[in-house]
Amino acid sequence: MAVEAPEAREAEHLPPQPPPPRKGLRRLTGPGWLRVLWAIPVSWALATLLVIGTRAALGYEPLWELQVLIVAWTIIVPLAFLAALGGFDYWLYWISGRPTRPEDHSGHGARTWKDYFRVNTDHKVIGIQYVVTTVFFFVAAGLMAMFMRAELARPGMQYVDTNTFNGLFSVHASLMIFLFIIPAFAGLGNYVIPLMIGAPDMAFPRLNALSFWLLPIAGLIMISSYLVPDGGAFAAGWTNYVPLAVQQADGNLMFQMGVQWAGASSIMTALNFLVTIITMRAPGMSFWRMPLLVWANFATSTLVVLATPFVAGSQFFIMFDRVLHTNFFNPELGGDIVAYQHIFWFYSHPAVYIMMLPGFGIASEVISVFARKPIFGYRLMALSLMAILILGFSVWAHHMFVSGMQPWIRIPMMVTTLVIAVPTGIKVFSWLATLWEGRIHFKTPMLFASGFVSMFVIGGLSGIYLGSVPVDIHASDTYFVVAHIHYVLFGGSLFTIFAGIYYWFPKMTGRMYDERLGKIHFWLTFVGFNVTFFPMHWIGLQGMPRRVADYAPEFGNWNLVISIASFGLGASTILFLYNMIVSWRRGPIAPSNPWRGLTLEWQVSSPPPTFNFDEVPQVVGSPYEYGTRGARHAVLNGKPTETGKAAEPVEAIHS
Amino acid sequence: MTLVGVAVGAALAIVAVFIPWLPDAASEQADIIDSVYWVVTIICVVVFAVVAGVSAYAVYKFRAPPGDTDDGSPIHGHTGLEIVWTLIPTILVTGIAVYSGVALAQAEDLPDDHSVIQVTGQQFAWTFTYPDVEVEGDRPLTTGELVVPIDQTIRFEITSKDVIHSFWVPEWRMKQDAVNGITTHTTVTPTQLGTFPVVCTELCGLGHALMRSRARVLSQSDYEAWVEEQQRLAREGGAIQGMELFTQQCGSCHTLADAGTEGEVGPNLDEALQGADAEFIMESIVNPSAEIAEGFQDGVMPANYGEMYTDPQLESLVEYLQQATGGGAR
Repeated sequence: MAVEAPEAREAEHLPPQPPPPRKGLRRLTGPGWLRVLWAIPVSWALATLLVIGTRAALGYEPLWELQVLIVAWTIIVPLAFLAALGGFDYWLYWISGRPTRPEDHSGHGARTWKDYFRVNTDHKVIGIQYVVTTVFFFVAAGLMAMFMRAELARPGMQYVDTNTFNGLFSVHASLMIFLFIIPAFAGLGNYVIPLMIGAPDMAFPRLNALSFWLLPIAGLIMISSYLVPDGGAFAAGWTNYVPLAVQQADGNLMFQMGVQWAGASSIMTALNFLVTIITMRAPGMSFWRMPLLVWANFATSTLVVLATPFVAGSQFFIMFDRVLHTNFFNPELGGDIVAYQHIFWFYSHPAVYIMMLPGFGIASEVISVFARKPIFGYRLMALSLMAILILGFSVWAHHMFVSGMQPWIRIPMMVTTLVIAVPTGIKVFSWLATLWEGRIHFKTPMLFASGFVSMFVIGGLSGIYLGSVPVDIHASDTYFVVAHIHYVLFGGSLFTIFAGIYYWFPKMTGRMYDERLGKIHFWLTFVGFNVTFFPMHWIGLQGMPRRVADYAPEFGNWNLVISIASFGLGASTILFLYNMIVSWRRGPIAPSNPWRGLTLEWQVSSPPPTFNFDEVPQVVGSPYEYGTRGARHAVLNGKPTETGKAAEPVEAIHS
Repeated sequence: MTLVGVAVGAALAIVAVFIPWLPDAASEQADIIDSVYWVVTIICVVVFAVVAGVSAYAVYKFRAPPGDTDDGSPIHGHTGLEIVWTLIPTILVTGIAVYSGVALAQAEDLPDDHSVIQVTGQQFAWTFTYPDVEVEGDRPLTTGELVVPIDQTIRFEITSKDVIHSFWVPEWRMKQDAVNGITTHTTVTPTQLGTFPVVCTELCGLGHALMRSRARVLSQSDYEAWVEEQQRLAREGGAIQGMELFTQQCGSCHTLADAGTEGEVGPNLDEALQGADAEFIMESIVNPSAEIAEGFQDGVMPANYGEMYTDPQLESLVEYLQQATGGGAR
């Protein structure tokens, strides 16, 4: 899957070559996969020896205690992997006083597919690494959903036992949330944000590379939990409620430790985004001239930095209870079970917005470009993002209306929850108003973006039901909730991720995707999604609880319909993957600005030169001045940029 | 435009109103909660109809012809419109919040003449204790199926012996988590005779999907007769009661052909207890850790059945199991 840009363009921006490869045995000590190959078994053995040695010295029995070993392995082996791959080289050289290799940008750009498997500090390479990795985990987690739907097609138990089933939905949710939606947005943002603000790269390129490489670690830990003997994968849901999490077999530790790596990755990226957005905007790009995706990433990153430590803490507490025999959540010794839920949701509700706001940003970009209109009410759109950011921290206990917490908290939490509908509504109405009197081109990204608006409205409205305490008392923990979260996270997040991938595909790969396949993909997804998830509202209200491997026979027919639809939905993903892979290899060469966008990323070649801009762009106006003849977002010295209402016909990009 | 809006709205209203979204309302609380549900539904249908109508119209009306390179109108915003769509949702959600708050207070209102039933969740069965009903040996009546009189407000005191469970009767609407270490409450006034499912809605482990029981609502006189029958059975035992106890309490985890249960959390008793003697069966019930069947985990089966039930009850259960698995003479 080499990204081969046209020769002429490549030659113009050819980056300096990396240092010559090491020879002979020295190859084993240089950063890279050879070093990883021996570092992993060595660090594994060291970790094992450390645990067994310590236990022997302290006289603990048995010496081979899997719980403790898992903790040691999942900390030490990943660190060794990162070090071996070269993630810490620069810092270690610097700390140890050895001469650091000056940043000669040799790590930038990707010449062959092999460069995607290195610690690469180029935000565009990292962006693609992120997106491809997250799509891999998306497919893995999607397959788990297919297994679940197969089991649920008929009442009774057919293919898996209840423990396996509980593992399937737990790993499915964890991968989708921590390894797909959150990092997929981070990946798209990684590629696009520096381009959009006219910066050559992210503020901390080495940190950026490191935060990507933490991701596959988290994913592999979670997936490999299936291999843990006696009990297999963690099976207490992605919420991992105590005391079940403490009571579970050793596989549960793989969730607690996996989350740490995914969380660390999120926090580092978010910090990087914040510093990049605050300090590296091109001259002239005031906050009120930032594209809304940049605003959205700014809000999201703030949420991540403030909230993610809470989920890390909550999982560490469980780990301590299991391994160190502390009693944070042991009621017999003064622990508090409900406290876990407060800590967990203090992250995990904002996490819903972490998974939503970047999607809002993508939708704003796509809708404005394809409706050929300025985004309606730009300032209110930006401010409503900030309102959601602030309110998002005040609603966490609406997940706990029936949990047994203090009853009085329910009312204020209900009020704040319902109030969040206001800024969210502003966004939806503004998108609709953006369509009004536009000249709408229904390319695949636009189909997904408008599909997102309508599906997200359903998800938002079912959120009103769940926000109202009396209705929630009935509907919580039923399939109604399953329907709600999938309308929000599938109809919301996933649709915008698809929109984003199709929208920036030409920019990222330098090639066009197949528009016809893209449209078929959208319609299959849209129909399959609705037939799969809409009936869940009904069976939930009728009395089918969530997270069950088996259910009362009266729900059998609807579950069969849902399962069949879900297989169609799953199959539509094959079309997406086929389109992406084949177009990446053989698609027609993309022009620099196939969508006639005004924002900065479209004013440079596809894919962009190694350092994005040959000269620092000067931002002169709003990013959305469609319809105003001659209006520009930015001026690039000596190069034409897109203007509003292009007078001369643009190069034909239509199929 | 108006036509599209009306058509979409009408279609939605049909879906929303004519599909029986909620199960039977069988308690006073259900009526209150349903009223909130319908208010929210009406508001949501209106909002969705507006959104869907505008979208459909825009898609139809403002689609660009192929090859079009013009831009749309440079409309940047409209302060009045923005104020309107900030204010109207604010008013709507405030209304929903106030209505919900009032409804919540009504639903949880507890009259003085209420009775109390203790609900205990444990992996993977519900136990209901009636502190006002005494049986043999000065202990309160304990059952695996919930039986309540109609039109009597009941305060359920809910707790758990292990992980979190959640007590829910869909027809009553009220739901409350059962949490180890604290006692939670919910209030129900059943208004319909009949048998309803009791469902655990909080993931509680291997047998979560099977942790179902049932709630029977009886008339006051039937309820009193039932109470007397329970007191008699607790005194006398007998295999009939053993079978009832089994299906209520054990069947969600254990398969037993005779009782028609298909639980798969614990060993299949048709095999595990085949030809077993009474002593082994009793030991397996009161001290499940004594011998773990191959392929199963220690600590999954609750270890406190010995304390929960009277000796006659346990003996009748053993007697029944022995009969059903072909140990002992029939």
